[in-house]
Amino acid sequence: MGIFPTVQPPSTTGQGSGGGFFQNLIDGIGSGLGNVFGSGAGNIASGIGGLGLLTGAYNRLGNIGDQALDLGQDLAQTQIEQAAFRPYTVSTSTGGQFGTTVDPVTGQLTTSMAVSPEEEAFRNQMFGGAGQFFQQAATPTAEREAAVYDRMRAVMAPEEQRQQLALEERLANQGRLGVRTAQFGGAPEQFAMAQAQEEARNRAMLGAMSQAQAEQMQQAQLGGQFLGSSYLPQQMLLQGLSPGQTAASQAQQAQLYGTGLFGEATASGIEALLNAGLGQSQLMGTVGTGLLSGLFR
Amino acid sequence: MSQELRSVNLIAPGFKGLNSEDSPLAQDPSFAETADNAVIDNRGRIAARKGYVVQTANKQVLNNNPITTIGEYRDASGDTRIFSTGNNKIWRNGVTGPDVNNTSLNDVTPQNYTITSNNWKIVNFNNNTYFFQRGYQPLVSENSNGYVVPMSIKPGNVGVTSAMYGNEVLAAYGRLWTTDFNDDKSTIYWSDLLQGHRWEGGTSGSINISKVWPDGYDEIVALAAHNGLLIIFGKHSVVVYQNAESPSIMSLADTISGVGCVDRDTVQYTGTDVVFLSDTGLRSFGRTVQEKSMPISTLSKTITKDLIKAVQNETSGFKTVYSPEESFLLLTFISQKLTYCFDLRGNLEDGSLRVTRWPSSTYTTYKRTKDGQLFIGSAEGISTYKGYLDNNTTYRFKYESPMLSFGDSSKLKMLKKLRPIIVGGNDSLAVLRFAYDFSTDFRTISFIINDQVSAQFGINEFGPNSVPLSEFTSGEQLTNKRTFNARGSGNTVVIGLETTINGSEISLQEINVLALIGKTL
Repeated sequence: MGIFPTVQPPSTTGQGSGGGFFQNLIDGIGSGLGNVFGSGAGNIASGIGGLGLLTGAYNRLGNIGDQALDLGQDLAQTQIEQAAFRPYTVSTSTGGQFGTTVDPVTGQLTTSMAVSPEEEAFRNQMFGGAGQFFQQAATPTAEREAAVYDRMRAVMAPEEQRQQLALEERLANQGRLGVRTAQFGGAPEQFAMAQAQEEARNRAMLGAMSQAQAEQMQQAQLGGQFLGSSYLPQQMLLQGLSPGQTAASQAQQAQLYGTGLFGEATASGIEALLNAGLGQSQLMGTVGTGLLSGLFR
Repeated sequence: MSQELRSVNLIAPGFKGLNSEDSPLAQDPSFAETADNAVIDNRGRIAARKGYVVQTANKQVLNNNPITTIGEYRDASGDTRIFSTGNNKIWRNGVTGPDVNNTSLNDVTPQNYTITSNNWKIVNFNNNTYFFQRGYQPLVSENSNGYVVPMSIKPGNVGVTSAMYGNEVLAAYGRLWTTDFNDDKSTIYWSDLLQGHRWEGGTSGSINISKVWPDGYDEIVALAAHNGLLIIFGKHSVVVYQNAESPSIMSLADTISGVGCVDRDTVQYTGTDVVFLSDTGLRSFGRTVQEKSMPISTLSKTITKDLIKAVQNETSGFKTVYSPEESFLLLTFISQKLTYCFDLRGNLEDGSLRVTRWPSSTYTTYKRTKDGQLFIGSAEGISTYKGYLDNNTTYRFKYESPMLSFGDSSKLKMLKKLRPIIVGGNDSLAVLRFAYDFSTDFRTISFIINDQVSAQFGINEFGPNSVPLSEFTSGEQLTNKRTFNARGSGNTVVIGLETTINGSEISLQEINVLALIGKTL
């Protein structure tokens, strides 16, 4: 059966489920009575004919109901099919895809998103970087402090060495390289230089600690940024999904609208058919009633 | 035709001291070829040295060992003690109380302190006396009781370790300085300010000058302080530091290579100079404040080779002393029993000091005390330099002139008259000697020097009732003028005088020589 049902006139062959035999019986009785009893008999025959018509109308009404039920079910089935979700896919310009599928067996709806290989590589890179940054941020700072301190010392060391050599040279020229004093350890100048260098080391150490902590914070921030960036292709895909979803929604709306129209139109046809059947049945009932009433007058 | 006698006056003969460096013929007659047991007296004449008088009454405690060091303790209140060392003991004159002239040696060696060497140096510092010797813990004697104790016993001591058991000690610039250790010859330690027993903490410290030696390597022998400088004597070089008042900032002022000091005990202060013995002679720092430099001059140019030989032959060490009262500096080679006497009244034209020789001197140490006495140490104990007998024993004074050519060595000289002018030497037997042409076969003329007549005052010359008459000699010493005939001839001649010093001083004022100048040979 097509999506638009064809309304057929009610069958008169008595092939209905409940009216065939009863109709034939009435028709037979009327016909026999007419033949046996003449005009009186004609009234009787007419009554019998009216009864037959009433019976026929009754049966026709029953058939019309069955037919309306069948047509309604057909229409519902048709509209279910027409209104069923139709899978669609949204593709972005960078190669990302958003798709929805329906399992033909279970009817389960599955939605999937896929980014392009480049985006996936980017995501993996960002994700890996985020992991590294977070790992570094989670590393105790002592090691980094030592590393920063060593680098700072490496920068400071040449100048310190130059100053040390200059002092040694000056002390050597003054014949004071071998001076050891209880007050200063060595010569006062050596003490002053050692003190200055120690202070520089202390500053470097504190600087290294601050730097390590700042770097730890920076690593955490970078990790967060990388992590956010790793979801950027997905976000872009989701952003690209909106227009696609709008189009799909519009298509679905159109589909649903068409389905509604189809339903309404088909329901109107069915209703007209039912009304026609009802009219016919009513007519037959009226005729049958008239004939039957002539019998008893 | 007879020729006139030529007179050659040897005025103040030998007053320039010994000269063994110049050619005998070219020498100034004022030099001496021999000047034994002589000094240059206050009139610039060559004269006999003084003898010594033993002060020690109990020299048996020395067991024939010599006194090796004498030190004087004097505090601010004037208390004085004499410490000495010898026979592996520390000695103190007197039993109790300050007594510089006490004649007994009292053993003040600390108990349980074993001494096997006697090369001590004693310094006086801040009311304490300190004794230093290499490898031995320094000893200290406090003013309160005069006992000698190891430094580690002294209350408040700090840092008294074997590292500072030095052989040389110097009290200067408010500190003690020590150096010359058993295993370290380049480090100098200094004590805390005014505390000679504190060698750690405070302002104590040290300096290692192993990188400072001008010749790359040397060993510290002695220290001296002069004009704000710390003078460090090595064996072959000298290093001078300035601003030694603040040791932590003192800096190198000068280095002198090739000249060193042979022994700690040869460094002497002469008031305006520092004198020391190098292996090439007696030397001094000439003080030139304006030029801020320290040129070194040689004070023994006239006996350089003799000194070098003596230095090389010495096995027991050296002792020196400067006596401003006597105006001389004595340098003794102990094992050779040889002493050179350098006169410090003035310098010769070349800067050298006039020097005489004291042979057979048994002196082993000296000490000039603050009151001007000159103490002499020997196996006889402590003596004082005075009188003209060596512990009641006579000694010989000997003078010889250089070779005299009378201006022309090519002509023959025939000595005719010798007329020495001798001051003092009362009643002594003198021998006038002369020889020709480098011969050792001296001709001698013996004579007794006239006795000196004492001054008389208020003595009645002509009986008890006569008018007292005063008689005076012509001077403090009798001047003997005698004339002796001489003989022989030669191109050059040596003239000498020798006498036994037996309680009287003697000076050689002049020798007048009358010679006949002969033909040219």
